[in-house]
Amino acid sequence: MAPPMIDPALFDELKTKIEEDTNVRKELDQILDDLNQQVSFTQGVLSRIHSTPRSKYSTLLNQIEGGIQKQIETVSKLSAFASQFPYYKYNHKWTRMVQDAVATVIICAWLGGMSTDSKPGEVGRLLTPEDIGRAFNVPVNLKDRDAFHITIEEYLLGLITVIDDLSRLAVNSVTLGDNSMAVQISGFIKDLHAGFQVLNLKNDILRKRVDSIKYAVKKVEDVVYDLSLRNLIPAQEPQ
Amino acid sequence: MSGFKRDWSGNAKRRDGPKQVPKQVVRNAYTPMFEGLRNELDEHHDRRERIVKASRDITALSKKIIFSLQRVRKIESQLPANIQAEIDSRLAEISKLLATIAPEIQGINRYRYSRSLMCLEELAEALTFAHYLRTQSLISHAELDPIIEELARKGAVSEDEVMADASDTAGNVEKSAPPTTEPPTVSLTQDDYLYGVFDLTGEMMRFATTSTALSGTMAGGRGGEGGDDEPRTIVQDMHELGTLFEMLPVGAGNRFQWGKKLEVTRQSVVKVERLGYDRIIRGSERPKGWIPDLSSGDQGQGDELE
Repeated sequence: MAPPMIDPALFDELKTKIEEDTNVRKELDQILDDLNQQVSFTQGVLSRIHSTPRSKYSTLLNQIEGGIQKQIETVSKLSAFASQFPYYKYNHKWTRMVQDAVATVIICAWLGGMSTDSKPGEVGRLLTPEDIGRAFNVPVNLKDRDAFHITIEEYLLGLITVIDDLSRLAVNSVTLGDNSMAVQISGFIKDLHAGFQVLNLKNDILRKRVDSIKYAVKKVEDVVYDLSLRNLIPAQEPQ
Repeated sequence: MSGFKRDWSGNAKRRDGPKQVPKQVVRNAYTPMFEGLRNELDEHHDRRERIVKASRDITALSKKIIFSLQRVRKIESQLPANIQAEIDSRLAEISKLLATIAPEIQGINRYRYSRSLMCLEELAEALTFAHYLRTQSLISHAELDPIIEELARKGAVSEDEVMADASDTAGNVEKSAPPTTEPPTVSLTQDDYLYGVFDLTGEMMRFATTSTALSGTMAGGRGGEGGDDEPRTIVQDMHELGTLFEMLPVGAGNRFQWGKKLEVTRQSVVKVERLGYDRIIRGSERPKGWIPDLSSGDQGQGDELE
């Protein structure tokens, strides 16, 4: 007789593979739950920056760094687990969260936190993708092997979140009487805006988010305009 | 590529000429970093574009194979010679295309571009269908994967021969150039296989319909050798396939697509059931050559055309 239509082993094999996949996703979800909470917490602490005068940054930055430390621990757990599987098979599950985590680190460093032995913290410092990789202790833009890393897109998307947040800070810093902060933010955002224009973008999420930068630029320019109109810009520009 | 634009004196203008001018960039402290990132992103976009192009061609060729296979009228170990020849020539083309993209989808890049590699689903559909028509059984993932790997390898070999006389220098040729190492191949993921088999049910439904209408018998195996057993027909095969998918746990990754495909499969199973019933109840009354209206069977297949 002809062989059966479906070899019984075929079903078992498919079933096992699907179940394995489901289990991996479940375990990832647990790790990502933690990360989600930690990122939300850090973002919450970070939002206090909008009502904190610069003289009191250092205590606030300590709290933020505490939150970031937790994120780093979870990301290393994620890295260890996810590296067992093809990276891009599950990347979509965590990419948003990693972007947000990256954003908290970039903004913390820009405000003067995340100081290391070689690089003391100072306001206006931009972490590069490599710096981010060092902070999280994971590779960046990995190409030669299939393991967990932070992608360039994740870095750039995180950076755009930072730009949005800083444009808000420009407004609030003026409210707190720190006009030079607004001017510094303006310079920084304009430089980044120019930087993003160097990129050749396709019609994807990055393109959409990059398009939004111009609104942040406009927002800070309006603030600086208001200041200059009233002669409120400090004579000694930090730059 | 379309025609040239010409300047006042009639000389052809460079196409990309004016494009370079408007990109005047203010340089600042961050420009070098962004330039580095731009190069990385460009590499990714270019690679994806090459994959998408090849993928589209492979999809078209696979569909042509399926059309050829739909001209087969019964299940037997040897496909008719003219159809086999058509398929072979299409497979040879697919083989070359697979070889060109094989270096791009190694290691980490396999899943990175899996959304751009929908062609493998289509190819799996064509190959499982061909296998069914020859053997009346479903090929397993483990059996199908080496076949596709072999296709990619064969394409790479013939590519090398061509390169011997035409010293062509394309970017991706260099990567596949070293002849001493094993050429990279294309692997089939579990999802490619599963969704290919989902689509196979649609093709089997069409095949059952046309072959029944034209030959007046339900496609199936030959009468058992010496046994009194009725040969197994495509109706049973469809039932088995339907049961397979009903019993499998739903993949967590894409429940939505899974549900849609499962629904189409159910419809195909019911259509073939109906055929079997018709054959039994009034098969003898039906004039030979009468073909039922197939247009409703095209639903669900149509939206796969990208």
